[in-house]
Amino acid sequence: MATTAQVTITSDILTGFSSVVKSMTLTKAGTTNDITETTGYSRRKLASITKVDLITMANELVEPSDNTAAKVYIKNIGNSQGVIDKSVGVKVLINSVEIGVLYGGDWLLMPVTVVDGEDIEVKPETDDIVILEYAMYYEEA
Amino acid sequence: MATTTAAVTLSSDLMQDALSVTTDTTLMKAGTTADGLDQVKMGYNKIPTGTSFDLLDATAAGVDKAAKVLIANESMDETYYVTIVIDAKPIGRLYAGDWMFIPWNQDDATHDLEITAVNGTNNVTWMAFHEGETLTTSAD
Repeated sequence: MATTAQVTITSDILTGFSSVVKSMTLTKAGTTNDITETTGYSRRKLASITKVDLITMANELVEPSDNTAAKVYIKNIGNSQGVIDKSVGVKVLINSVEIGVLYGGDWLLMPVTVVDGEDIEVKPETDDIVILEYAMYYEEA
Repeated sequence: MATTTAAVTLSSDLMQDALSVTTDTTLMKAGTTADGLDQVKMGYNKIPTGTSFDLLDATAAGVDKAAKVLIANESMDETYYVTIVIDAKPIGRLYAGDWMFIPWNQDDATHDLEITAVNGTNNVTWMAFHEGETLTTSAD
């Protein structure tokens, strides 16, 4: 029961730099045992600039183990009607501290503490429809 | 236009029907559809325990820009990890072998991306694709 992730970055900014590839298997904290819990793959439709919880840590059906090896993946897929606007995006925050903006088509994969209250919040920059797809992987408390 | 792309493949068999997601994105400057990020900085650091370090310093020039950051913990001991903090907010832990890729908005000049090693000296590779940085004039 494994979850794996691989990132490949290619760039022509630097002459001679072609790409970097990093792969990982999501494991429980401090072990080589595979991580076992997930929110599943979800999607959330947003249509206003109001900040909302994408993942409320206290509401997970399987209580997460705090400060371990949890990871979250989020992608801005645009409006799902073929419009993926690279010029506007959705702010991603952890308990009101901004991480950054996911513009149309952008994705992130990052660790999270999953501590109650340290919710993953999102705030679109416009009132246009935008859809986020996401999944969190974590350990059971 | 400088072109930088970030592709990810996420695969999981935790659910009964296995999930596999593959996607990529081109890293653009903030608010543009035709101008790619055109600056990069990178490094490989040995992070000793006991001190919180600024891995990336937020600057006023970076506010509301579209920086993207890759951090990989290259340590081999599975008990080793680094904590990632942005503007004093703990984000999470990167254990040995883990990587992360995030957009990083330097919301203000204190929005530094900080790192602290735990259980031993951690080896970390990082790359930041960004825009808008100008060199400071030498003082001597």
